[in-house]
Amino acid sequence: MRDARVLPVLLALVLLLGFPTACSRGARTEALPDYQLQLRVLPHPPQVGESTLILSLTDAEGRPVSGARLEIKGDMSHAGMQPVLTEALPGDPGTYKALITWSMAGDWIVTITVKLPDGRRFRRRFDLTVVGG
Amino acid sequence: MTALQRPPLRLDLLRVPGLGRLLRWRWGRLFFQSLLLLVAGLIIYDGLTGPQLAPENIATVAAWIHYRGLVMLALLMVGNLFCMSCPFTLPRTVARRFSRRGGRWPRALRNKWPAIGLLFIIFFLYEWLDLWASPLWTAWLAAAYFVAALVLEALFAESPFCKYLCPLGSFNFVASTVSPFQVRERAAEVCRSCEGKDCVNGNERMLGCGTELFVPQIDSNLDCIFCLDCARACPHDNVALALRSPLQEGITASWPRRWDVSLLALVFVFASLSNAFGMVPPVYALLGWLAAHVAFLGEFGSLLLLLATLDLLLPLAVGMAAAALSRHLAASRESLRVVLARHVPALVPLAVAIWFAHYGFHFATGALSIVPVLQNFLLDHGVRWPGAHPNWTLSAILPFRWLFPLQVIVVLAGLLATLYALGEGARREEAGQRLLAGLVPWVVVAVALALIAVWIFSLPMEMRGTNFYSG
Repeated sequence: MRDARVLPVLLALVLLLGFPTACSRGARTEALPDYQLQLRVLPHPPQVGESTLILSLTDAEGRPVSGARLEIKGDMSHAGMQPVLTEALPGDPGTYKALITWSMAGDWIVTITVKLPDGRRFRRRFDLTVVGG
Repeated sequence: MTALQRPPLRLDLLRVPGLGRLLRWRWGRLFFQSLLLLVAGLIIYDGLTGPQLAPENIATVAAWIHYRGLVMLALLMVGNLFCMSCPFTLPRTVARRFSRRGGRWPRALRNKWPAIGLLFIIFFLYEWLDLWASPLWTAWLAAAYFVAALVLEALFAESPFCKYLCPLGSFNFVASTVSPFQVRERAAEVCRSCEGKDCVNGNERMLGCGTELFVPQIDSNLDCIFCLDCARACPHDNVALALRSPLQEGITASWPRRWDVSLLALVFVFASLSNAFGMVPPVYALLGWLAAHVAFLGEFGSLLLLLATLDLLLPLAVGMAAAALSRHLAASRESLRVVLARHVPALVPLAVAIWFAHYGFHFATGALSIVPVLQNFLLDHGVRWPGAHPNWTLSAILPFRWLFPLQVIVVLAGLLATLYALGEGARREEAGQRLLAGLVPWVVVAVALALIAVWIFSLPMEMRGTNFYSG
C-alpha cells in the first residue's frame, strides 16, 4: 500500500531526470548575436576595490551603437554572495563606462543587460578573476 | 552506555504534544521526505534547465548555502534531521518490493572504509568540478544520489547505502555524535521481555531499523538516521528521542574501537580545515606552485595529491603519532587502535564547530539570496505575482563585520568542548589508565586545529576555481 503511493513520486522523478538538458528555459532577453559588446577593465587585472569597466557596443555592421542602456551585475562564482549592481554611463559614440567595486578576490561573472534604443534587450556574460589588493 | 547504565529519561521529543505525534505518525517520515523531495526535484530541474550562474540557480543556492547551513544547525540543535527527511531513501520501500528480500551487503564491506573513500571523493569532486559554481554538476550529483540509493536498496536487504556508503550520511553520522538528542528505550525491562524485537526486525505493519540498530543497545548516534521506524514499529511504545549531553560520546568514547571508525572521524576533523582552506589565498599559491613544479600531474593530479594529503594522509599520520605518543606518556599497554578510538571522539566537537563556522558563514552571507532566485525561477515560468524585478541585493542575514568574531567564538567553544570531553573522559577512566599525561598530544592537536581554523577564517576569502593549467 505504502509502495503504491510512493511509486508515482518515483516515476515523476525518473521523468524529471530524463528531462534533456537541451530544454533550457527561455531567457527573458533576445539572443541578438550580431551585436558585439566588448569589455575592458581598468586596472587590468582587476583588483579588490574600485575598477572602471569600459564597454564598446557595435551592431552587425560594426557601427557604434549609442543611446543604449547597460545594466551591470557582478556575481561571484559561488552562490550566496551579494552581487554588485551598477549601470554604465554613455561616453564616446558606442562607448559606455561604469565604476564597479569588487568586494572580494576571486572569480566573478559580469552580466551586462543591454537595452537597445529600439527596446530590444540582450545579455552578455564575461568571466573575470579579481586579485587581492 | 547500555540500557542498564543510562541516566533517567529527561525530555523525550516523541512525547512533546503535537510534535511527538507527528514524528511517530506512520507517514511522519514520508511527510518530511516529501518536503525535501520537492526541494531535490527543484534542484535537479533548475540545475539542468535553469541559468548556469550559481548565484541565480536554485541548485547551487539551495545545496551549497541552505542545505549545508541548515544541516549544521539541525545537527547542533536536535540531531540527524536531514537523514530523517532524506529524499534519496524514499525509494527504499519500493526497491525492497522488487529486491525479493535481496542479498546481504558483502561482509568485507561492512565497515566505514567505503564511506571514507566516498566522502573523500565528494570532497575532491567539490573542488575539482567547482560544484559550488556549477548548477549542472550539482543537479547531476543529486540525481546520482537517487540512482545509487535505488539500486543499492534493490540489491540488498538492509540499507547499505545509508550505513556504509552515503557520503552525506557519513558526514551527518559523525557530526550527530555531538547532537543533543538520541534514540533510546524508555524502560529497559520492556525491551528485555520483548520477544519480537520489532524495532530492529520490523513487522507486517512497519519496517524495522534500516541500519540494523537495536534500540536498547544504541549508545551512539553513529549509524542512526533518525528515521524513527523503530518507534513506529515498537508494539510497546517504548522508544524515546531523548535529550542527552552533547558531549556524552566524546567523554565515553563508546564507538566501536575500529580503525575504520576512528579514521572516518579523523577525516571529518581534518576535512573541516581543508574544505575551508580551499577558499583562501594560500591554497591558490600552493596549487600554483604545484602547477609550476609538478606540471605533469595536471589539475586533476595536483588537486588529488593536495586533498589526499590533507584529508587522508595527514589525519592518519597525526592520529597515529598522537596515539603513539599518548600511549607512551601514559605508559599504557593498550594497542594504538584502542588509544586512537578512545580519544578521537573527543575531537569531533571541535570539528563540528569548525564546519559550523564555515558553513554558517555562507549561510549568514547568503541565506536571503534564495528569495530573488525563487522569484527569478517563477518569472521564467510565467509567474509574475511575486514581482517582475528580483531584488538581487537580498543576501545576508548578519552584518559581514560580525562574522569573523562569531567564527572565533564558535571555534573557541568547540575547542573548550573538546578539551572538556578529553579531561572528563580521562577522569572517568578506571584503573588510572587514562592518565593526564596521555592527554597532552591530543590537547596539542586540538589547540593546533583550532588555531589553524582561526587563521584560515582570518584570511580574506577568495572564491576561485582551481584550474591553473588552462593558460
